[in-house]
Amino acid sequence: MQNDKDAKKEAPKTPEVVKPSPPPVFPGLDPAAARQAKEFKHTSALLACRYEPSGKFLFTSGQDNTLQRWEIATAKKTDMAGHSSWVRAMVFAPKQKLLFSGGYDGQIISWNYESAEPIPLRQVLAHQGWIRSLSVDPTGQMLVSCGNDGRIAIWSIPELKPVHSWQAHENHAYQVAFHPSGKEIVSVDLKGVVRIWDLTGKKIREIEAKALHKYDAGFGADIGGARSMAFSTDGTVLALAGITNVTNAFAGIGNPIILLVDWATGKITKELTPKEKFQGTMWGVAWHPAGFVAGTAGGNGGMLWFWKPDQPNEFAAIKLADNSRDISIAPDGKAVAIPSYGGFARIFDITPNLNPPKEVPKVPPAKK
Amino acid sequence: MNCNYACKTVDHGVSRRAFLGGVGGLGLGALANPLAAKGLAIQQKRVLVVFLAGGVSQLETWDPKPGVVTGGPFRAIPTSVPGIHISELLPYTASWMHKLALVRGINTKENDHGKGAYIMQTGRRQEPANEYPHFGSVCSKLLTEDKNPLPGYLNITPNGSGAQSSKDAAYLGPKFGSVSISDGKAPANLEKPAGINSEAEMQRHLLRQNANERFYSRRKSAMTEAYTQTYDQARMLMEKRGLFDITSESGKLADRYGKHDFGRHCLLSRRLLEGGATFVKVSHTNYDTHHENFDFHIEQLGEFDRTFATLLEDLDIRGLLDSTLVVVMSEFGRTPTINRNFGRDHWGTAWSVAMGGCGIQKGAVVGKTNATGTAVVDREVNGGHLFHTYLKALGFDSKKNFYVDQRPLPMADPKASPIEEILL
Amino acid sequence: MFANTVNKNRFVCSIALMLLVANWSLGQTLSQKIDAEVSKPIADFEKKAAPLCSDLEFIRRVTLDLIGTIPTVEQSREFVKSTNVNKRSELVDALLASPAHSWYFAMVLDVTWMERRADKHVPSANWKQYLRESLLANKPYDVMVKEILSADGVDAKMRPAAKFYLDREGEPHLITRDISRLFLGVNWQCAQCHDHPRVEDYKQDLYYGLFAFFNRSYVFTDAKTKQSVFAEKGEGDASFQSVFDPAKVTKSSGPKLFMRAAIAEPKMEKGKEYEVAPTKEVRGIPKFSRRSQLANELARGDFEPFARNGANRLWAHMMGRGIVHPLDLGHGDNPASHPELLDLLAKEFVKAKFNHKEILGQIAKSKAYQRSSQVPKGLQDPKPEEYLVGAIRPLSEEQFAYAILQASGFTDAERMILGAKVEEAALQAKLAPQATPIINALATPAGQAPGYEARVEQALYLANNGQLQGLLAPRKGSLSFRLSEIKDAKLFAEELYLGVLTRMPTEDEKKEVEVLLGKKDVDKAGVIRDLVWALMTSIEFRFQV
Repeated sequence: MQNDKDAKKEAPKTPEVVKPSPPPVFPGLDPAAARQAKEFKHTSALLACRYEPSGKFLFTSGQDNTLQRWEIATAKKTDMAGHSSWVRAMVFAPKQKLLFSGGYDGQIISWNYESAEPIPLRQVLAHQGWIRSLSVDPTGQMLVSCGNDGRIAIWSIPELKPVHSWQAHENHAYQVAFHPSGKEIVSVDLKGVVRIWDLTGKKIREIEAKALHKYDAGFGADIGGARSMAFSTDGTVLALAGITNVTNAFAGIGNPIILLVDWATGKITKELTPKEKFQGTMWGVAWHPAGFVAGTAGGNGGMLWFWKPDQPNEFAAIKLADNSRDISIAPDGKAVAIPSYGGFARIFDITPNLNPPKEVPKVPPAKK
Repeated sequence: MNCNYACKTVDHGVSRRAFLGGVGGLGLGALANPLAAKGLAIQQKRVLVVFLAGGVSQLETWDPKPGVVTGGPFRAIPTSVPGIHISELLPYTASWMHKLALVRGINTKENDHGKGAYIMQTGRRQEPANEYPHFGSVCSKLLTEDKNPLPGYLNITPNGSGAQSSKDAAYLGPKFGSVSISDGKAPANLEKPAGINSEAEMQRHLLRQNANERFYSRRKSAMTEAYTQTYDQARMLMEKRGLFDITSESGKLADRYGKHDFGRHCLLSRRLLEGGATFVKVSHTNYDTHHENFDFHIEQLGEFDRTFATLLEDLDIRGLLDSTLVVVMSEFGRTPTINRNFGRDHWGTAWSVAMGGCGIQKGAVVGKTNATGTAVVDREVNGGHLFHTYLKALGFDSKKNFYVDQRPLPMADPKASPIEEILL
Repeated sequence: MFANTVNKNRFVCSIALMLLVANWSLGQTLSQKIDAEVSKPIADFEKKAAPLCSDLEFIRRVTLDLIGTIPTVEQSREFVKSTNVNKRSELVDALLASPAHSWYFAMVLDVTWMERRADKHVPSANWKQYLRESLLANKPYDVMVKEILSADGVDAKMRPAAKFYLDREGEPHLITRDISRLFLGVNWQCAQCHDHPRVEDYKQDLYYGLFAFFNRSYVFTDAKTKQSVFAEKGEGDASFQSVFDPAKVTKSSGPKLFMRAAIAEPKMEKGKEYEVAPTKEVRGIPKFSRRSQLANELARGDFEPFARNGANRLWAHMMGRGIVHPLDLGHGDNPASHPELLDLLAKEFVKAKFNHKEILGQIAKSKAYQRSSQVPKGLQDPKPEEYLVGAIRPLSEEQFAYAILQASGFTDAERMILGAKVEEAALQAKLAPQATPIINALATPAGQAPGYEARVEQALYLANNGQLQGLLAPRKGSLSFRLSEIKDAKLFAEELYLGVLTRMPTEDEKKEVEVLLGKKDVDKAGVIRDLVWALMTSIEFRFQV
């Protein structure tokens, strides 16, 4: 037992990783010890990233209208051209080895993600204006899309034939997803309006996520929308990521936030925010099967946080080398991938660090 | 001898009092171009300036560069003029390209909002303690007849912003300064005061007139005439206050203009121009998109595009477009480089302005930027050239001088000249 | 010596005449000397000139010029009735001695020196209080100017005086220009870039000599207290090129005011220029301050431009135009209309130890000031600078606003409420909130020399603005109230015209009132309201006539 005086002298410093005591335990994992394991560099800034379901590949999209497939083990890169604008939405139908990408050109393109050189297989003009989000239903038979035209459209897999579509929102629809049960669809728009639909397009419920939206009167513009969305594995909680407390939309003065919505009641039950104020947007949220939430933000730099969903503040915060735009959790749950403004796709190992350095784990500096 | 350098100030040009001493109407000295007076008699010209406040991105409007690293996610679309493409965010405007012209080679070398706006409004760089008159004030002086009930320089400002310095007429004198129409609402004090009916209003007007007539029988001066004239002008303006009421427009037309501030303000602009206004400036806020440039340009241009096209059509239908100079400008453009927050920053180095109407070569494109939009590669022009061009489009010799108390003051920057290629 | 007797006689006569004149001028007041100078350029001046204005015209004119408002009906009546031969002179002295003069003149100085710039670092109220208290304490003009030119905003007591610098953001070119305009009566604006192409006297090195007093100064804002002061660096040159010089030779100037000797600057060892070196958090205090040398150089009796400008502006205040006109454009090609008059006034201003009341009073007592504005028959096109006829000049915004308050009776009503022993400060506190909106509605743009311009917005304001109409409403002591109590049309007309225009109504005017009041079912309150408004917005009210 140490007396108080000694305790004060010897309290450990934790500048970058915040650990409330005792630290949470996830079998085989230690998110607080997240460290960069791999880094892939593309020639343009990156927008989105998704692990392919087997974990062999990581897909990213760039501000040069192309997609990139990275073979994780070898770092081999394959460029995939086909869209005529940026891509933010990527989803998979593993049975057919299909990747679907939705672009700001309004096009959905399907690709065989295992081909040596994937090329567009099918292409459909799905929306007027940007496609912002795609989702595949649990049976792998249907693809749903949404976009700036405020419409939701359901397509058949693999033919991409239109099944059904409706005017879901009065303004830009930012996110759409099938509920893990496959029976409902949820969508979110620019103004933070969350709508839950049955598969025929009938509205079941509406929730207002006001914290995600702001009309900036100074600039005469709306800022908002869920920039990323994720269900918990069991589908009981929906996480919505965005920017809140906006005081200046055109300078991006606001704070990243994740809202947790209880699916059964439709109530917003929690707001996840970083302990230390950060200026920027929460661009990616992902729900780890082990039950914690990963979020990443870009603004004044980039950050990665991990939350226990019942605690408003994170249990781990990792500073990133530059602004992040998205997050994807590896299929085996042992890593997260984050694409950045600098063109880097970075993979962070979140298993326990068996050789911890004397100091607090730091992210290695970006290779220029 | 003319002082060819830009050091003309109110003081240099002699005090306003001296300028106005003995003045009733437009001012001492000749109009800059005696032919202009003749031209006025032929057809009244007018000006519409649409100011996209904050700096609209030329890459998202008039000079798109899809597919390059600086291009952003938007594509280019063809317009009603074969060979001219503009951003996909302006589909309605694209169908009016045959009445418009583009200047794509602007380099004002200025990235500051205030200074950039100054250059675009006055055609001159800002100098400490030096003032040049706004284009609106110059037009007020050149185009507006004395008996026009409407002030010569009307500035429709978005709610809570766009307020201009009262120095905007500079050495021409405050008479030619802007009259603000805040948020499209009529100028202050346009209604009779409470408790005064039309009879009482007429009675006191007559009493005032009688008093002045008695005074005139004893002594008279140009200054006192100017004073009484403002009351007559005020009464005329009061009678025109209906112009400010846009609710009398058809619902359908109002819808096409758009049920937002900019839409309403543009509808008001048309009413004012049709009602005899000679210079109307209307602003759309805001375009200063350092953060999420693309989302916000969708939003803002979504408003601008249809409204602007409707306004052009409305002016055209009413036979006004050919005698109205239309200019769409900002204080600068936006950087080709996209920053880490999907934004574009201030950029005065290579950007664009659109023009149309009176004196403008329809479908003309002057000036070119390089493949990534980082520099002007052909026909570089600045705010001075634009100012000359506006004046020449209106039929004035832009190289002439104003005469303020017999001192010559160049109408436009002597170091620049009109962009002939864009003029008829 | 003399060729013949005739020449000798002529010579003797000239001497005698000169002695006579000299004797006579020794006994003359300044106002008499003023009239002598004014009449000199024109033969038969007195024959040609308009007669002096009437008593009522005089009391209105001088009340406006010395205390910024119009006389009350009582004061007007009393003044006309008085048989005192010295009444005009005594009225001038009384007005100048009253606290109301200092209140008004503080406004005049504020507008002259700050030109309605928006408040930045020093609140206008504090600055106006400084001006007012200085005037009430009879602080001479040169002392005030010295204080203003020395102020840096550090000392709390003198901080208001620093408004001149601080609210121009310490911008050295702007300050140079405005000091030359406002304190020296010259505008070296062009000389910022080159010698003036037409005006010989406006030379670039004169400009930069003055600029060099300020080139090291800057506004420093304390990050913690957020207060801004005028700080100064210990090094830095004022260098310049002429834009007309193809060789682009760079010259530089140390601080030097006009033709006075250059300021001797101690040689400073590099790195040792500071008492307190400037940092981001701390303002610089140099061992030698260029700027602090200026006040003593400029605000002194033996510096001609200073005294002449002061005198010229005092003359312009009373007469409507400067002897050098415009007030800030004195140079070889824009000479004084009466050079010896200006010399005289400048000398007297110095002799009076820069007591401006002395000069204002003597001008007010001169015939030149008291000329009627009515052009005599047979006089063709008199030029304003001849002073043959009184000028028709617009009231300043302040004069107009306070005249409105007096004419409507608002001031009378407030006086009544405040009681017999009303303190000027208390009355002013009641008037200011009503005056300010009127002043703002008429004011010329900030940063420009004050002047008059008719604009439609002003007419709209005066015609339709609710606050102004409210002043017409009857209130105990107000003109409308008094008129409502008068039954006789002739007495009504008298009260009306005396109250608003400080004169008696003509027969026609009395008739007009009679007809209006005699109408069947007359709305008397409405007639009063409309008549008062009509006269308040007439030319005769808006201008000095």
